[in-house]
Amino acid sequence: MNMRITGPRGPLMAGLIILASLGWSGVASAASQVRVAFGDIATVESLNFLIALERAKERGVDVEVTFFKSEDIAAQAVVSGDADIGVGTPYALVQKVKAPIRMFYQMSALRFFPIVNTEYYKTWKDLDGQEIAVHSRGSGTEAIMKLMAQKNGITYSNISYVPGSEVRAGALLQGNIKASIVDSTNKKLIMEKAPGKFAVLPMEGVNATDEALYANTDFLKEQSEAVEVLVEELLKTWREINANPKVVADLRKKYNLLADLPADLEGEVVPYYEESVATGAFPSNGGDEAAAKDDFAFYALAGQIEGDPASLKVADFWTFEPLKNAQAKVGTQ
Amino acid sequence: MDARLEDPAAVQIVAEPREAARGRRHLLWWRLASIALFCGAWEIAGRVPINLAFPTFSATVAAFAEMVRDGSMLKAYLLTLQPLIIGLVVSAVVGISVGVAMGLRKSVEWMAAPVFIVLQAAPVAAVIPMVTFVYGIGLTAKVISVCLLALPVIVLNSYKAVANVNPSLINMCRSFLGSRWQQILKIILPDASPVIFAGLRLGISAGFIGIILAELLITPTGIGDLITYHRAVANYAHMYAAIASIIVFSAATLSLLQWVEERWIRPEKKRS
Repeated sequence: MNMRITGPRGPLMAGLIILASLGWSGVASAASQVRVAFGDIATVESLNFLIALERAKERGVDVEVTFFKSEDIAAQAVVSGDADIGVGTPYALVQKVKAPIRMFYQMSALRFFPIVNTEYYKTWKDLDGQEIAVHSRGSGTEAIMKLMAQKNGITYSNISYVPGSEVRAGALLQGNIKASIVDSTNKKLIMEKAPGKFAVLPMEGVNATDEALYANTDFLKEQSEAVEVLVEELLKTWREINANPKVVADLRKKYNLLADLPADLEGEVVPYYEESVATGAFPSNGGDEAAAKDDFAFYALAGQIEGDPASLKVADFWTFEPLKNAQAKVGTQ
Repeated sequence: MDARLEDPAAVQIVAEPREAARGRRHLLWWRLASIALFCGAWEIAGRVPINLAFPTFSATVAAFAEMVRDGSMLKAYLLTLQPLIIGLVVSAVVGISVGVAMGLRKSVEWMAAPVFIVLQAAPVAAVIPMVTFVYGIGLTAKVISVCLLALPVIVLNSYKAVANVNPSLINMCRSFLGSRWQQILKIILPDASPVIFAGLRLGISAGFIGIILAELLITPTGIGDLITYHRAVANYAHMYAAIASIIVFSAATLSLLQWVEERWIRPEKKRS
């Protein structure tokens, strides 16, 4: 059907359409639905979060998750009001753009594994003057490798950027790169495919948030009840998984999550959570000021935060009110 | 008294260049006004702001100047231009040769036309990740990304240009007993050159799209790295400066090509 706005009513109609479109965002954000922006596709690694969301839904919080291509785009969705809660570490966005968002729950700590081809290198010292590959400029993987270089008193000849742990794992196996850093899934894959050919270099004293939940400050005030329910369920789910990682497989079936997961990946669910729990990837208390301060030091090195990490205020980036209220109900561990 | 002033035709001849010069000046002012309007609107949109992450025009210019000063812009361009130039040279040479061959010989047309028509219609952003499976993540993959976008446009324009050469010119060549080579070199290629050049310009702009897609989708290097990195660390003015610079660079390259074409290769185009 063709509609044409003509005659004297034309400007009136056009005005109404403009008013309606301007008012749209206000109407959407006033709704009680909690819109979560996830900066990745749903995988085995996001099952714990999806389970907690299902449990929040059971308690009457209307949660809708949208999966975005990257964390940056998900963060933009939160800043522009198209989503309420984001997943990631938006330190740069808060500091440089002065976006009115605050992190309120630490979901996971960064767990990456520096891997070297033992034919060429065996220790951190062997990497002095050598080339390494990391995810991207300003990424957590680059910051870890720089931090370890500082600690071991070495310098790399060059850092090349190869996005994707699976791509770097493939390049390590093919021999295209000799030293890199990958996530736990790909570390396992490398060790299985080429036993004895690669070694994981020891890594101590690297503490930083991998994924945190954040939201607009106005949303945190207006929807404080929904946020608290979500935080309670996150705390309970994380503790349940930390006590028994195998529970993730059962809960996946119970809530019918990732229903189209291929059979070979289904077998990876429990090992992934067992390994993550063993390395302490899932904090049981949802983060604290000390964890935020560790983040300042780490993300300053990554180039995400500017200035002296010691002079930064936790309150400018985090709010612990929802977490404290939830901890008052479910306790701390 | 000057004889030219008595002759109305002569007066007209003297007046025309002045008119043309005035017209050019007007055109220049309109262009400058259009650019000023765009920059002004950008500045206002940034100051409102339409989005917290949207920088002002002045902040973007300052970020650009900073990246030029610290050398990161020059370094990025050197990295981006390498696969871009290789890809464009390969696309121009192969594209024009294949396109002209397709226009001259039916057998080549039947064999090659479907491939390039499909390639031109394909959403290349979806194909580029596949390139990495075959060619890895190095220079070759990026050159191929440039060729994937630039080649079909150049081939199909060259082919159409040769296939649509004025038949009466070819008949004239025949009646003067011109050989096949003379026909190609003196009639077909000169007559087809306007469309071949148009294809070349379109191919270069497609090549720019190809290299930026490759740098964003394969590995972040050059300008793609500047865009990705500054977005990741929320330096939005720097990110916009990198994006705006490649757009301006692409437009300037196309204008330069047009100038070269008018000045050196087909001067008759400017006169007409």
